[in-house]
Amino acid sequence: MTVRAKLAAATPGLRGAISRPGERRRAAYRRHNLAGYTFIAPWLICFFAFTLIPMVASLYLAFTDYDILSATPHWVGLRNLQRMFFEDPRYWRSVRATFYYVMIAVPMRLAFALGVAMLLNTYRRGVSVYRAIYYAPSVVGGSVAVAVMWRQIFGTDGLINAVTRLFGIAPVTWLGNPRTAIWTLIVLAVWQFGSPMLIFLTGLRQIPQEMYEAAAIDGADAADRFFRITLPLLSPVIFFNLVMQTISGFMVFTQAFVVTGGAPLDTTLFYSLYLYQRGFDNFQMGYASAMAWVLLVVVAFFTALVFKSSSYWVFYEAKEGA
Amino acid sequence: MNRNRWPIVLGVVLALSLALSACAPAATPTPQPKPATAAAQPTSAQAQPTTAPTAAQAQQPVELRIVWWGSQDRHDRTIKVINLFMQQHPNIKITYEFVAWADYWTKLATQAAGEGLPDIIQQDYAYIGEYTNRNLLLPLDDYVKSGVINTADVTPAELDGGRVNGKLVAINLGSNSQCWVLDVDAFQKAGVPLPAPDWTWADMEKAAMQIHDKLGIWGMGPGLWDEQIWASLYLSLGQWRYNADGTAIGYTDDTPYVQHLERMLRLEKAGAIVPRAEDVANYYGKSVEAQPIVEGKAAMAYFWSNQIVAVWKAAGENRNFKMVPLPRMEGGKSANYIKPSQFWSIAATSKHPKEAAMFIDFFTNSVEANEILMAERGVPISSKVREALKPKLGKSQAAMFDYVAEVSKTAQPIPPADPPGHNDIVKNVLYPQVADPVAFGQLTPAQGAAVLRKEANAILAKNKK
Amino acid sequence: MGEAPTLAWRQRKQQRAFVRSVLYHLIVSILGLAMIYPLLWLFASSFKGPSEIWTHITSLIPEHFTLQNYINGWAGFGGIRFSVFYKNSFIYAGLGTVIAVLSSAVVAYGFSRIRFAGRDLWFACMLATLMLPVQVTIIPQYIFFRRLNLLNTFYPLLLPRLGGQAFFIFMIMQFIRGIPKELDEAAEIDGCGKAGIFFRIILPLIQPALITAAIFSFYWTWEDFLAPLIYLNSPKLYTVSLALRSFADPSGSTDWGAIFAMSGLSLVPVFVVFVAFQKYLVEGIATTGLKG
Repeated sequence: MTVRAKLAAATPGLRGAISRPGERRRAAYRRHNLAGYTFIAPWLICFFAFTLIPMVASLYLAFTDYDILSATPHWVGLRNLQRMFFEDPRYWRSVRATFYYVMIAVPMRLAFALGVAMLLNTYRRGVSVYRAIYYAPSVVGGSVAVAVMWRQIFGTDGLINAVTRLFGIAPVTWLGNPRTAIWTLIVLAVWQFGSPMLIFLTGLRQIPQEMYEAAAIDGADAADRFFRITLPLLSPVIFFNLVMQTISGFMVFTQAFVVTGGAPLDTTLFYSLYLYQRGFDNFQMGYASAMAWVLLVVVAFFTALVFKSSSYWVFYEAKEGA
Repeated sequence: MNRNRWPIVLGVVLALSLALSACAPAATPTPQPKPATAAAQPTSAQAQPTTAPTAAQAQQPVELRIVWWGSQDRHDRTIKVINLFMQQHPNIKITYEFVAWADYWTKLATQAAGEGLPDIIQQDYAYIGEYTNRNLLLPLDDYVKSGVINTADVTPAELDGGRVNGKLVAINLGSNSQCWVLDVDAFQKAGVPLPAPDWTWADMEKAAMQIHDKLGIWGMGPGLWDEQIWASLYLSLGQWRYNADGTAIGYTDDTPYVQHLERMLRLEKAGAIVPRAEDVANYYGKSVEAQPIVEGKAAMAYFWSNQIVAVWKAAGENRNFKMVPLPRMEGGKSANYIKPSQFWSIAATSKHPKEAAMFIDFFTNSVEANEILMAERGVPISSKVREALKPKLGKSQAAMFDYVAEVSKTAQPIPPADPPGHNDIVKNVLYPQVADPVAFGQLTPAQGAAVLRKEANAILAKNKK
Repeated sequence: MGEAPTLAWRQRKQQRAFVRSVLYHLIVSILGLAMIYPLLWLFASSFKGPSEIWTHITSLIPEHFTLQNYINGWAGFGGIRFSVFYKNSFIYAGLGTVIAVLSSAVVAYGFSRIRFAGRDLWFACMLATLMLPVQVTIIPQYIFFRRLNLLNTFYPLLLPRLGGQAFFIFMIMQFIRGIPKELDEAAEIDGCGKAGIFFRIILPLIQPALITAAIFSFYWTWEDFLAPLIYLNSPKLYTVSLALRSFADPSGSTDWGAIFAMSGLSLVPVFVVFVAFQKYLVEGIATTGLKG
């Protein structure tokens, strides 16, 4: 049987026999449309029902002086943006704090996650216990308890200072010093690397052992194996983690909210925290919405950058890539 | 079935179920209030004697919602009082909600936006201005006049805290005043005499330095940067920090504030108070129990009077604490005033304001209820209730009661509620642009005060009508 | 391999392996101890009495061991015990996870394996939903659910999950992309439609991803307090995350011991879920559709 006949036999429900090549292409395309939309239907419906309207509403509010408590917002046009960019020193502090955080915490977190995942990608005894231990910090999340815990550890009498004292360094007020406060949050983020680590681990597990064995036979050393097998085969997962960690890095909120509250000197006043304060503490939700949409544009830009770069370094096993 | 129909069926089923669940309770607009019954009730109440609950039993069932913030202790007590009230008023059913302080205003604002505020709302002095200006709170003067809320045992000073623009919008739940808590043992050990109630800032500086010299601990804990202290400097001079219509800073002379900042820098340099860095690191946002005086690291502390209970509990019952009023400016008067720790308000959208008012009356005047509450929110405003509770008080609570009673004798009338924009000034100007830069040496005190004036005026100017 | 396997050679090999093993465990456990210290402190504090917590902050061993914090904490508020909060959290996290993961898998398949018009646009929209801070969409969403009279129920928390969640959709997409298309094509030749391929080929092969997604979803949902705060009014419906926050009041007295005790306790289910499921991760998958 010819391929065409086979296909025709396989899809009897599709408008009779397929005759001409053009018609087959169009038919194939149409069929995929229906299937595609059916599969993403759950997301699409929920998007329209629950997400799109609030998003559009917040876009509208960004150009108003909505203060939550009054029922009717008033249009103010670009006033919010003007205030934000030209009249608000705290805004730029929040931008600086957020960028600093993203530039440092995201790579560190990913590096640790990958390193530990590789360390745990073994069948030695007890590795499941270690996995649990390394994942444990992430489980604590941004709860009330973690705030107390973290302030305690970085406090003047806390563990960190106790360790530095052993090395003869004078105690530092980590949380009170404007230069070091943000590092307590960076360390917190890195401490909670369990999630990207798990994803890396799952990805590592998908690399067949045969590859490594074959490479070993061919005489490849550890570095070779890492750069020529592990990294490329892991690249879809690295890509995913990079995108997700970058996005969530820009949106960082809870940890700063519970641990530092933005202090001192606004060095930990992350963008989302500042916009929350403006929106709910100061009843300036219009301004906060404007801030939110500016953030979306910036994050979308960086995400698009990563996506564009992915065709250079991300290798999918499926032949017809993205 | 043809395999290609599968996704179609799946999709359609999902879509249908979603549509059904979304449409199930049909989009109903909020039911309109019933003006007839609401208007009828206050007039019938006027004919009745004051605290007579039996009249209400003849009416139809009523449902109220109430919300407050607090910790486990307060939740437990308040729920018991609610149950007690419902026992005495079988036709009134109260459903309660409570959250943490940190989340309270987020939740309340969201409910306000959705027009779903509960009937009875716990309020705070810092927010009643904002809520009243948007007509979200019901004026209560009529209920007080008609006796639904009985205020016979309450002094006007205690009620005035709940007035905005002359209208009573909130009922005081417990009186509070600021205080300095002294660790008596530390003072004795250092050989420093305990300050008199009319002590000045210079006295405070001297005491802190002496204690630090003799004992090596901090003379004073964190709290001197607090925005309330800024206010107290000017209150002591008979001025208020904002002007009468809340459109600008109310004082013309920055010197008191500049001197205060200089004093703090001196104390910090000498090591006599908690440095700002440590203040932020170790004590910011931390509860009362974590303050240095509890651990004995400081000999003085700034608190509100109702916090003494928690302090004493955390430090241990065997400690000796004394509460004294705020330090004054040279030649000034007492900066203390009686402040309601929190309030009950009624939402303007409430459909049963009279029953809500009855609950507030019960909360304020019922001795039984207050025996459950045990002054957890502050000193009760009804003198009858205070008398009834006196014999039952623990050591720290008795100290609180005595202190408030003492301070009331010389206290000022409560300053007006902070104008809209006050929160903005505190969060966006005072701490990040004034206090921190001065503390970390980026601005001189004079510069800091200038920034405060300029920025605060800019924010307050928006209140000009 | 040059040397003949003599006894001495074997012994040396074993020694080297032994030393490597010891070194491995040493490094991993020291690092692990550093990771877990804060949690140890949390548990230690939960066994300390109220006056000890703040006066002997750094010690990991309580002077006076007490279980009172657990008793106080479990009592909850006004007669609503913590068991109620646990039940609610399990419902929210459990149901929410099942719904989110399954939906996400379905949607992920659509995005990654099917070419259709507008696919890139919708994918971009999906990612964009992750980029707008939730603080500004929460009020419009709240008003929407209020109009539907769904407040104080779990519906606003669970309904949006029927569409999957962007994070998991994207994550599963990446895993699906690691599966060779030859498997799909083979199934197609055998007469499978897109749905058939999904159920018979893809779904079994992405199990590790689904498990990972389930672990994340469970714990993130367990921790979530913003949605419960906004939509749940009655304390009887509160989740553990929300109840824990209601313990703390900076203006009054806070029972920190109870908070630590209940926080520690609330970590247990998440941990159990993780431990129970992680053995599936260990197996990994064999991309053995192409054996030979």
